[in-house]
Amino acid sequence: MRMNLPLLVAGVALLAALPAVLPGGLLIASIQMLVAALFASAYGMLSGRAGMLSFGHAAYFGMGAFATVHAMNAFGGSGLLPTPLMPLVGAAAGLAIGVVAGWFATQRSGTTFAMITLAIAELLHALAPQLKGLFGGESGISTMRAPSLGLSFGSTTQVYYLTLVWVLLSIALLYFHTHTPAGRLTLALRENGHRLRFLGYNVHGLGVSAFAISAMFSGLAGGLQALSNEAANYAVFDAGVSATVVLNSYIGGVGSFLGPALGAALMTFFGYAVSDATQSWLLYQGVLFVLVMMFAPTGLSGLFGTGVRLVEQRGWRPAVFSALLVGGAAVLLTAGGVFAVELLQRLCSQDYRALAQAAAELPAVTLLGRPWSPTSVSTWMLPASLLACGTVLVFVARRRFGSAA
Amino acid sequence: MDTFVFSLLNGTVYGLLLFMVSAGLTLVFGMMGVLNFAHASFYMLGAYFAYTLQGPIGFGPAVVAATLLSGAVGVVVERWFLRRVHHHGHAHELLLTFGLSFIIAETIKLFFGNYPVDYRIPPALDFAAFTIGRQQYPAYRALMAVVALAMFGALWLLLTRTRIGIVVRAAIYRPRMAQALGHNVQLVFMGVFGVGAALAGLAGAIAGAFYTTNPNMALEVGVMVFVVVVVGGLGSLGGAMLASLLIGVITSLAVSVDRSLADLLSVVGAGAWAEAVGGLLTLKLSSLAATLPFALMLLILLVRPAGLMGEKA
Repeated sequence: MRMNLPLLVAGVALLAALPAVLPGGLLIASIQMLVAALFASAYGMLSGRAGMLSFGHAAYFGMGAFATVHAMNAFGGSGLLPTPLMPLVGAAAGLAIGVVAGWFATQRSGTTFAMITLAIAELLHALAPQLKGLFGGESGISTMRAPSLGLSFGSTTQVYYLTLVWVLLSIALLYFHTHTPAGRLTLALRENGHRLRFLGYNVHGLGVSAFAISAMFSGLAGGLQALSNEAANYAVFDAGVSATVVLNSYIGGVGSFLGPALGAALMTFFGYAVSDATQSWLLYQGVLFVLVMMFAPTGLSGLFGTGVRLVEQRGWRPAVFSALLVGGAAVLLTAGGVFAVELLQRLCSQDYRALAQAAAELPAVTLLGRPWSPTSVSTWMLPASLLACGTVLVFVARRRFGSAA
Repeated sequence: MDTFVFSLLNGTVYGLLLFMVSAGLTLVFGMMGVLNFAHASFYMLGAYFAYTLQGPIGFGPAVVAATLLSGAVGVVVERWFLRRVHHHGHAHELLLTFGLSFIIAETIKLFFGNYPVDYRIPPALDFAAFTIGRQQYPAYRALMAVVALAMFGALWLLLTRTRIGIVVRAAIYRPRMAQALGHNVQLVFMGVFGVGAALAGLAGAIAGAFYTTNPNMALEVGVMVFVVVVVGGLGSLGGAMLASLLIGVITSLAVSVDRSLADLLSVVGAGAWAEAVGGLLTLKLSSLAATLPFALMLLILLVRPAGLMGEKA
């Protein structure tokens, strides 16, 4: 893999400069993006490089979060370790549970592996609310960041830098792992486990090690989240957490090293940005995931590679033209789809149903600052025509650039 | 004693319900090697279809229509989604169905809201079948069991006694050879996928009225069905039946046991120590009931990795 050093330095510098330019709310979102990026990187290491599809990574994330919370509360609130080193506890917890779970899960490969990981996560999710001492029951456990090393860790900026340092360090370590012999063997495990066994390697041990390392960094991400939220609830074991990391990683593209991290950062950002505007964000996320799986199996980061290839094959002008065509189609289809979904969502909401019942007719709904009557044809013509134009553009693009686009 | 018989019966009925959902899953897996993550979504779709149609066309026709509609959705998923990504491999297909299950759940939330809908047993079917002691047993539960058993019998006869069954089994065993002999294996795949989805839809339409119908039901049943399929052995219909009953009965019986590990340890004189340790040791078995299937699955994977009746290791 080629690493563009100037680009990398610029990226890190940008991340380091963020607190100076961003308002507080966005900075908290940035912390969440960083945590999601690390979690997705850890996940991508297992599913992309080792070829093991896990549907239960919330278990290791959650264990990391709870271990960190307990460590912060240890010794009457003074903490087991200085605050900046707290995520190490999360990493240790993730590693410990990862070794045990990995030993079970990697007994089998492929589909069965996926089901076992799901079952382990569900086991924890079912058990956690019962064990009140460990997981705090329904209400969870809260904690406080203790001042340490002359820093209070009271401001968001300090937490941001702490998170940034840990995330960059972890991603660098994960990258370093891909270059070690163990990392290369992980790749071999994905490609051909049988041959690896014939060559005399301990395949089960390798699987467990890959699993445990992924779980360790997931635990670290969980620890960072607990550190930033100053609380942990058994909801971190929820199947939704496992699902989100799968969707994020594959939308970003597990084929490249930074794909999952970029995908997770992007999706977390969008999730934050649109959380007020829509209730259907998860639906859009799922649709995007299915579209990526069907039409761009290498993920969004793979699209970049496709673009580069297009430029090399046909030159700048046709490449830009086709990119504009595809981009235009995407914009039209998205606009039409989102409009239709939002309209339906408002029409199916309970408030609207009560309103319609009371008025004995179908009142207009407000969207984009103007009313839309559900009975008039023009309301439905708008999304339909947007979708139709988008589809036409897709067909044009496919005819012109059938092989590359 | 009455309670014991009742939990046993309830567990059996729940197990039969699990079997109705897992039968399709295990057949599809045995045939195409695809673990269909969206399978339990068909169960949920069945319940919601039946709930929507129940008003206009009545309960019985609604159940039939829901079964057919779920099957149709299954056919669409196989024909226009799975087949397109088949060449990317099984992991890719698994991920695609995972995404589809996500979309189905979110679409249902979009149309019906986040809360359980008011889908109930029709009054005509809401009576007691028989009485043991002073407790009455609802006829609807018995009806669910009858439907599941009839389905098991029909599937078994279809697969072992008819010409279609021979072709399907051939396509499961050696797809390429069956294709070379002139059978349309693609069509068989689509048919099996559709039938599996329809069976799950039927289970949902019937069970949704008895249990609750909400957007989380797919996940709850789906996870349990995966456990059933792993415990029973992937691709084995008999194994699915056995594992479903086992899990149904175990969870149902565990709910009524008000004992903990500490009580067991006190027999050997370690009760006080266990009370002092707390945590897992003092939890009542009844509150652990939800975790027992997963523990059973891990146990099975340890002692018999291929599942109770599975052959493929």
